[in-house]
Amino acid sequence: MALKPVTTPDAEAPSIELSIDGQPVQSKAGVSLYDVISQTGKIIPAMCYHYTFDPFGSCGMCLVMVEGKKAPVRSCTAKAEAGMVVRCEGDDLHAARKKAVEKHLTIHPLDCPVCDADGHCELQDMAFQHGVQNLVNAKPKGLPEDRRSLVLDINMNRCILCGECINICKDVQMVDALQFFKKEGTTHVVAKGDVGLYCEFDGDCLAVCPVGAITNKYSKYVYKPWQLKKTTSTCAYCADGCQIHLETSGRDVQRITSPLSWKNKWGDRAETAKGHGGLCVRGRFGFQYIDSKERLGMPLLRTDDGLVPKSWYETMEVVVERLSAIKAAHGPNAIAGLITARCTNEELYLFQKLMRAVIGTNQLDSSARYGHLNFTRAMQKAVGIGRMMNSYEDITKAKTLLLIGTDITETNPITSLRVKEAIRVYGAQVIVAHPTLTNIAKLASHPLPIAPAGEAAFIQALVKAVVEQDLVDEAAVGAAPEAFAALKHAVAGLSWDTVTNQVGASKEAILEAARMYAESPRAIILCGEGVVRRADGYTAVLNLVDLAWVTGKLNKPGCGINAIPEEVNEQGAVDMGVAPELLPGQSSYADEEARAKFARVWDVSLPDAQPATSANLMEILDRCRRGAIKALYVVGENPLATLPSGTRVKEALEKLDLLICQDPFLTETAQLAHVVLSASTFAEKNGTFTDLQGRVNRVREALDLFEEARPDWEIFVALGQALGARMDYDSPQAVQSEIMKLLPGYYNLGEPRPVQAHPESYLSQGYAQDVGARYALRGDTAPAGSFSLMLGQVLYHSGKLSTRASGLIKLYPNKGHLKMHPDDLARLQIGEHDAVRVTSGRGSVEMKAEADPDLAVGTCFFPEHFNQPPVKDLTECVTDPVTSVPSFKLTRVTIEKLKGTRA
Amino acid sequence: MSAGTQEKSLLRTVWDAFSFSEIRTAMRVVFRHMFVKPVTFEYPREKRTIPDAHRGALGLLRYDDGEERCVGCDLCEAACPSRCIKVVSAENPDRPLSRYATEFYIDITKCVFCGYCVEACPVNALAMTKMYEYSTADKRSLIFDKAKLYDVGEQHIEDAKRYLYAHNQEKNDADSRAYRYKFPHQVAALTPPQDPS
Amino acid sequence: MKQPLEDQRTTVYKVDPEHPENRALPTLRTEEMMLNMGPQHPSTHGVLKVVLALEGERIVKATPVMGYLHRGVEKLAEDGTYHQFIPHTDRLDYICAMYNNFAYCRAVEKLVGITIPPRAEYLRTIVAEIQRIIGHQFWLGTQALDIGAMTVFFYTFRDREILLDFFDELCGARLTTSWYRIGGVERDFTPELIEKLRRFVDYFPPKIDEYVTFLETNRIWLSRTKGVAVISAEDAISFGLSGPTLRGSGVDYDLRKFEPYAAYGECDWSVPVGKNGDTYDRYWIRVEEMRQSLKMVKQLLEKLPDGPVMASVPSITLPPKDKVFNDLASMIQQFKLFSEGFKPPKGEIYCGTEAAKGELGFYIVSNGEGKPYRLKIRAPSFIHMGAFDYMAKGYMIADVVTIFGTYDIVMGECDR
Repeated sequence: MALKPVTTPDAEAPSIELSIDGQPVQSKAGVSLYDVISQTGKIIPAMCYHYTFDPFGSCGMCLVMVEGKKAPVRSCTAKAEAGMVVRCEGDDLHAARKKAVEKHLTIHPLDCPVCDADGHCELQDMAFQHGVQNLVNAKPKGLPEDRRSLVLDINMNRCILCGECINICKDVQMVDALQFFKKEGTTHVVAKGDVGLYCEFDGDCLAVCPVGAITNKYSKYVYKPWQLKKTTSTCAYCADGCQIHLETSGRDVQRITSPLSWKNKWGDRAETAKGHGGLCVRGRFGFQYIDSKERLGMPLLRTDDGLVPKSWYETMEVVVERLSAIKAAHGPNAIAGLITARCTNEELYLFQKLMRAVIGTNQLDSSARYGHLNFTRAMQKAVGIGRMMNSYEDITKAKTLLLIGTDITETNPITSLRVKEAIRVYGAQVIVAHPTLTNIAKLASHPLPIAPAGEAAFIQALVKAVVEQDLVDEAAVGAAPEAFAALKHAVAGLSWDTVTNQVGASKEAILEAARMYAESPRAIILCGEGVVRRADGYTAVLNLVDLAWVTGKLNKPGCGINAIPEEVNEQGAVDMGVAPELLPGQSSYADEEARAKFARVWDVSLPDAQPATSANLMEILDRCRRGAIKALYVVGENPLATLPSGTRVKEALEKLDLLICQDPFLTETAQLAHVVLSASTFAEKNGTFTDLQGRVNRVREALDLFEEARPDWEIFVALGQALGARMDYDSPQAVQSEIMKLLPGYYNLGEPRPVQAHPESYLSQGYAQDVGARYALRGDTAPAGSFSLMLGQVLYHSGKLSTRASGLIKLYPNKGHLKMHPDDLARLQIGEHDAVRVTSGRGSVEMKAEADPDLAVGTCFFPEHFNQPPVKDLTECVTDPVTSVPSFKLTRVTIEKLKGTRA
Repeated sequence: MSAGTQEKSLLRTVWDAFSFSEIRTAMRVVFRHMFVKPVTFEYPREKRTIPDAHRGALGLLRYDDGEERCVGCDLCEAACPSRCIKVVSAENPDRPLSRYATEFYIDITKCVFCGYCVEACPVNALAMTKMYEYSTADKRSLIFDKAKLYDVGEQHIEDAKRYLYAHNQEKNDADSRAYRYKFPHQVAALTPPQDPS
Repeated sequence: MKQPLEDQRTTVYKVDPEHPENRALPTLRTEEMMLNMGPQHPSTHGVLKVVLALEGERIVKATPVMGYLHRGVEKLAEDGTYHQFIPHTDRLDYICAMYNNFAYCRAVEKLVGITIPPRAEYLRTIVAEIQRIIGHQFWLGTQALDIGAMTVFFYTFRDREILLDFFDELCGARLTTSWYRIGGVERDFTPELIEKLRRFVDYFPPKIDEYVTFLETNRIWLSRTKGVAVISAEDAISFGLSGPTLRGSGVDYDLRKFEPYAAYGECDWSVPVGKNGDTYDRYWIRVEEMRQSLKMVKQLLEKLPDGPVMASVPSITLPPKDKVFNDLASMIQQFKLFSEGFKPPKGEIYCGTEAAKGELGFYIVSNGEGKPYRLKIRAPSFIHMGAFDYMAKGYMIADVVTIFGTYDIVMGECDR
């Protein structure tokens, strides 16, 4: 028998019955007695307990009397046994618990007035509840405060050594950054190795700390809980859909918390499969941009003196007048629009309605074009599902997880926790195919390093391996024998030599991965930007469908194909039809019937689906350059900074007669604009975001509007009405009710909708003709001595938005350093202070280099969030032939050491 | 016990009526008071002596060495029944790890002078004074800010101390100096923050 | 048949040959006159409006319109801790703030089930009785003033000043006292205060006689109070009247006697009861109550026990301030009590207290949180206004002022 109680929720143990306070209770043998008691609804104080990790048993509060034992026992570390008679209440227990609190209080400093946890402190609550009086022999520890970390201050005087921070870091986050450390006779909680803490800074330790031992530097001493207004909203960084509590006073966000807290410690352990309620570093510490001084308080209008603040009335007058003039002179197709997927669903819907129904053009696009559309369009075509197929719970309970081209811990930290839980609690096998040794690869059972840009080849290799090893599901392929025959023929055309060369992995490794995936009853594919943000992303996703189809995993419960979108509402942008090829609800724009339905509801005639009237992002920029588009309406997007200079965005924008930018900040694109409309952040508006699981989450207004800035939906409505359309929405709710009518069942607040894959028609119509082209590998090999320059996301940032958050910039500033493998540095004899010149076909950039052992040899990395030095401009932009998704995050460069540089 | 109204004889009633006896008795009392010192006084020239316990305008106090008592714990804000206090606190840039109020506002127009803030204050930084003459034509000047509150506290320091003694908030002896709130820890002389990588 | 307009304006006296004695009555115009009295009328004690239906000078119907001073005090209570509501109670019956504090604290103490140290009980009783004297002095002065006897006002206010100054010295404020605390009182009497009270106890009885001298023989006072606002004992009980208004009708009902709370059981006093149920009897009762209150204060001062003035119940009562500076447990209590407040058990409670105006009751519903879920105030002035129409019917318009006054109405607690 193990020493500790069993905590795995699915433990296969015999059922037993025991008595708690005279009530018979059913339970599993060997689980923590505390869990059993808390399931009955009884609350026993416990300061070191949290349902997300195993009981620790350090606080000594959860005392209960078990019949046959003389002294009270700690229920959290006791195991439930058949026939136990437990008593949870009574004066003796109260006194014993009081003693336990007193023990903690006697070494606690007299700190309440200055402590940030005051009012949200379990020790206070316990002392108050148990009526502790007269601590005559109190002896505070008098230790110095550890302020070495960038975000978290650790004050060991206040610590009660409950170990919650260490446990959650180790068990839930699997980061294991904290430890107990004996120093000069007292136990401390310190970062591993007693250095300044620098970790993923998810802040879960801060959230579960029941006292004020771990405090947040960004809001140190600035608030007490009674001063704060708490608004529950949805985080606006990535698409994980984390619920956040914006705690504000006046117009300042003081801190961001989440449902994870020592206060919510009595959860069901099985519930963590759906999420543990915590946040990541961006969500928790990246709120400063909301109060940023760089925000636009007034609309700006370009005059001879540059951009000048003007009133809304004057600005809108100019906008409407010039838009109408352009429309009258050149027709509606001289106008186009771009919107960011950081807007709410309602705003996205309004935007496409404004462009299509009011202006009358189908030249519009959103930032979902940067990758997510590859996934949704391929999936929509193949299986009829335009989003991720699995929920968090599926991921957690998967037996095999195949992660392709995603650095999931960096891009979507909370989704990565589901993978981590699958590893830790359910013992899942995880295959991580990624060019670098990512954090998840370090934890995975089967890390599979591949060559840069080898993801697509890897998928083809997997299909080939599955087909050739006869791991196919007979029932699935039996339903479409022609398609399978075509596929078999197609993969036979690939030679293993080319494949392994392209993938950069051995045949054995690929075969093993294929076998693991095919044979697992619950196998899930998670792909990221390495698959969808590539010029061949569309076919790569179709190949993934092949893989799932032939192994019979398309409609198996707990199996599926998923891509992880980067921005918060990319899924919503696709669902709201902010793309020239889609209508709201993901129906095709070319579908006459669907178009007629919307035209009827909106009471307009919609532009037809001709290529002349429709344009996506790259086409819009192209038409701007050609002068076909005279006016561009850019909402929150920043194509100038996002796309490399090779795409000649600047040239396109400068050619415009009217560039309207709508953004909370004066972005690079906005600096070129003729009119800048000051918009709001997510904290100042109501609406919904659709997360990667397809759940629609509420966004609530937490703050008053910033100066004269207005929410985006309000600007759309005003613009629409000024252009003569009937858009009488008085709130996002009014837009919502219109969406509800058009897309019944879209607002499934809470649970993700179940999905059913329908590959039948796809497999029977045209599959056999197309499949051959999809399994063809380019035989190009990297020129010797060149490096793969990868632009990628880092944990501390999301897009450009987070670079406005001072807290995140403090954690991860742009140092302008190129990351390289130490071996490469040694080979090129590049020292710590040496500068390098990075050269590609597009030009060259000089900067410093630093070592990162996680990178593969022959690769180098630069964070995509920064463009100083302009590394991005080195890259070549390639577009997907089907979806026009621009791909520019990977390029070949040569690196040479600059002589005599010592900066 | 119950009310009794004594019956008077008819003759007595008639005599009382004709002689205006009620005026006679009443005037007797009134005339007696002509020789009593008046209880009223002429306010702006003469002023009441205000008792020590009087709850007048609030002031912020300093320790005898001139240091601000307030640590910005915001408990007064929580205790205030009329929600007229607003404290903005932060870390003191001059003394690391110590908390202080960067801004402190009391909206005297909303204050009900209940004294709860003083009672709540864990460092006795607030006290009520005997100041009551601050009527003004400009309502805005009745929102006391931190400077004004320290000014009031400085000008009425003796009254403020007496208030605290009278309400058992502080003892009028050497012990009172022991109340001084100490920040019980210092910054570790540790290595500077690691470079993020 | 519709009369021509001119006829309506002219008063025509018709003589009924059968009953010539009715000649003076107008027979043509029988229209009722509606008269708004208040809310700015000086005798309405604040902002009460009464819509009078008059037939000549006689009142046919009197409809009080209340709510001009409504501040949502009951709702305010739901937004603060139990402790924070005490200053709000000051502003109910602002003449007798101490009694409101007392009634509220008693209700909360009953809810959480704590007992008060004996000294605190004595102090509470003494101060409550002083407050009753103040209330009755104030009533007497203003009632006489309303009726036309101006002099008494100055005399009662002169003596009321002494007591208000006493309050100022005791708690720091003359009207908005907030001296009572849940579990005791804020501050003990100092020896000077006790001395001051002793002097007052000796000083005041002749002054009561002085007030009486002015009024008791005054035929205007008598004729304007005797037989005015009469209500029978049964009706008074049915209308839920309490305090002197009820006792004036001969009902011997006083909460202090029937449920002796605080230290009322420990001194010798009697409840004055009227006979006729008119304003005069109520006047007499109030004067008599002042004497009884003095008697009580005198006895209680003699017997005043030593000891703490604040109960020491952890997690409910405030810790002594000097301990807050040094003791972590007290510091935590201080912070928890002021920021979140104590959390009474779930349940509801009603507690009535005999205030100067009648039974002042607090009904509190607790849902186990630090704030009351619902708090209802049974304000005697409000209940008394319910009987106003009944009691005013048939009287002359000039009597309305007396009838207002007979309840000792204060709009602060009536409108809440």
